[in-house]
Amino acid sequence: MKSEQGGLRLRRQQAVETLRKTATSRRPSLARPQFLIAFLVVFGALAFLGYNAFKASSMYYLSVEELLARGDAAYGEELRVSGKVVEGTIERGPEANAIRFAVADEDGASVPVVYRGVVPDTFQDGGEVVVEGGLSRDGVFQAGTLLAKCPSKYEPEESKQT
Amino acid sequence: MPDLGYAAILTGFVIAAYTAVASFVAARGRVGELWLSARNGVYAAFGLTTVASAALLYGLLTHDFSIKYVAEYTSRSQSPVYNFAAWWAGLEGSLLFWAWLLSLFSVIVLVLSRRNNRELIPYVSAVTMALLAYFLGMMGFAMNPFETLPVAPADGMGLNPLLDNPGMIFHPPMLYMGYVGFTIPFAFAIAALISGRLGSDWIRASRRWTLFAWFALGLGNLLGAQWAYTVLGWGGYWGWDPVENASFMPWLVGTAFLHSVMIQERRGMLKVWNILLIIIAFSLCLFGTMVTRSGILSSVHSFSGGSAGPLFLALLAAVAAGSLGLLWLRLPALRSDSQLDSLVSRESSFLLNNLLLVGAAFAIFWGSVFPLLSEAVRGVKTTVGPPFFKEVTGPIFLALLLLMGICPLIGWRKASAENLARNFLLPLALGVATAVLLLALGMRPFFAALAFAVLAFAATSILLEFYRGVRARHRGRGENYAIAVPRLIWANKPRYGGYIVHVGVILIALGVVGSQMFATNVEATVKPGETIQIRNYVLTYQGLTSYTEGNNEIVAATLDVQRGGQSLGSIVTSKSFAAGREEPRTDVAIRSDPREDLYTILSGWSEDGTASFKVLVNPLVMWIWVGGAVLLLGTAIAFWPDARAEARLPVTERVPAKGMRPSHA
Repeated sequence: MKSEQGGLRLRRQQAVETLRKTATSRRPSLARPQFLIAFLVVFGALAFLGYNAFKASSMYYLSVEELLARGDAAYGEELRVSGKVVEGTIERGPEANAIRFAVADEDGASVPVVYRGVVPDTFQDGGEVVVEGGLSRDGVFQAGTLLAKCPSKYEPEESKQT
Repeated sequence: MPDLGYAAILTGFVIAAYTAVASFVAARGRVGELWLSARNGVYAAFGLTTVASAALLYGLLTHDFSIKYVAEYTSRSQSPVYNFAAWWAGLEGSLLFWAWLLSLFSVIVLVLSRRNNRELIPYVSAVTMALLAYFLGMMGFAMNPFETLPVAPADGMGLNPLLDNPGMIFHPPMLYMGYVGFTIPFAFAIAALISGRLGSDWIRASRRWTLFAWFALGLGNLLGAQWAYTVLGWGGYWGWDPVENASFMPWLVGTAFLHSVMIQERRGMLKVWNILLIIIAFSLCLFGTMVTRSGILSSVHSFSGGSAGPLFLALLAAVAAGSLGLLWLRLPALRSDSQLDSLVSRESSFLLNNLLLVGAAFAIFWGSVFPLLSEAVRGVKTTVGPPFFKEVTGPIFLALLLLMGICPLIGWRKASAENLARNFLLPLALGVATAVLLLALGMRPFFAALAFAVLAFAATSILLEFYRGVRARHRGRGENYAIAVPRLIWANKPRYGGYIVHVGVILIALGVVGSQMFATNVEATVKPGETIQIRNYVLTYQGLTSYTEGNNEIVAATLDVQRGGQSLGSIVTSKSFAAGREEPRTDVAIRSDPREDLYTILSGWSEDGTASFKVLVNPLVMWIWVGGAVLLLGTAIAFWPDARAEARLPVTERVPAKGMRPSHA
């Protein structure tokens, strides 16, 4: 091991030398055309991928009030709506796998929902849900996806209500 | 007991803060005695977080419901194992768990590096202790796990029945070990920046920590995936939910870091990039904890956080600003020792791998925070669903797998054309043959056949690497093949451990491609005696039974399964209702074999015995879990002390390659 002082001086010298060498002999490697082009190609491909996927799958995420405020514009759109299940509105049927309920905001605006599919275990009266689908002409939200908040994942729902 | 725990937290806060300052001052001024005192501070901080944790665990296990946390997460009827797991079930407890892990890791760093890295270690301690002080401060002044209730209830509320699963015991602590584990390489990077020892010392000293944290995070995610698959009853294992994404992003960036540090160790390049990567990885760990705990992003996993959000945001901002500022100050000293020689070289392939991994992490980040951004900018919340994540990351991951196959086939610095032709022949031929065969057999979509071809290519390339090594040993030392394989692996553990990890990743990818591209499902409502058909399965519904088990009401449906006319026995799927709980717990029936999983969910029934089912066939899912086991094996081998790798460590110093200068004296 050299003394601390000597080591430092040596290091500084080397740094200066490296600097001079890089400056005179070569451009930094990543700025050379072949790398620059490769980099741009990769970057462009990633951006293209992201843009396309984004265009295909982005959708509005609305509260019930915002959904109702969209009026006619809401028909035919693929939407994601969040709210609370209105207590006492959950009904099974008429088809075996269908379930009907109303979703409401804190301040009371509500919309009826029909969902067909497997109901998640966490779905319950008064629980928070996210539905994905579209508003049909009769004003019923036809949901293809039903996400119930998983309050229980770490925090039991009861603890929040008490 | 709660008083003791709270006192330990407050004392720990003071000690950790003192130790952070003392370590820093000791390192700056090279004050030996002060460093001795700071070392003791690290041990004392560990002792105090242990006392606090023990006090909380004592409360959890002895049903001390006067502590609010205990009353919220445990109950008398809950088994002791889950009462123990309540340590990390809630916000306050998990902060304590985090702090305890951090202080434990800090002590391990001290013990392991008694003789080396004398200049770095005090700074490492300064960073970890500062973070520890912050966490203990959060608990001491905002989120106290020992908060007491004015009146102790007779019984606690206990965990939700969905958490009543071994997943709860292993999945959260694994993720936390990953999150906290990344603190150590981050602290080493900061130590390198402050001390100006910007060579590869910090990377060597923290290599095992990175590997450990990376692995814990990966395994934590896999365990979570399996838990979701077997319990939640939706037939999937990954939902691209913000909370899931939050733990996946640091893993991706950590993967990039694990690869790019190899370039720095070998060639002295990418120094700035490496420090940047570890700063990002650690920041994403903090971001992940914040997202999980604050609920700022809308997630199906909702967690109430209180003041956790702003406090984490402040920490995140301080960490990012501080470390990036430090990096900027040191920028002039972080010159590369050498240059990239060719576009077709192992260095370039590592660089591309890094670009893709970080790109994937960025896309996931963008998709996760987009609702917040769009609301802030345009006033309307817009989200992107799972299709966005699948469409973006699918091709990126496929490119990464391709790269995984290409990388071992091309040499360092510059690969020659004949070397390329010779190496690529077999893997490429097998890959193309796979694609042609699958397409000829009628596999659609094209992307799936392409994915399997890439997997075949990558697998062949890695097996070829093993074969070459084994053949060399067979010829050179006359070892028979059976002995040569383990000896080859043992002789260079980091390298072959890494290849085994790659095999694990390929197996996981196999399962993901199979189940994402070829899963089918039917939903049907049937009367007893009727059948449901899916693929070549015929399920005959036998009927419902209901019974009581403990304080659970269980409704179970039995179905007989036939595949291609051959009986496979019967399966049972049920819903159980715990007394006093509104939501049921679905127990799905999974019949798994290497080819596919038959996944049956009981979704509803009526009085006359009619029942509704959702039945899925998920091809190749088993390989995800097998791949996870292989990943475990490979990481363990790479982690194992390796005499040869240690002797070879100062590579840059001992054999400077042409045009390369030693990074430091």
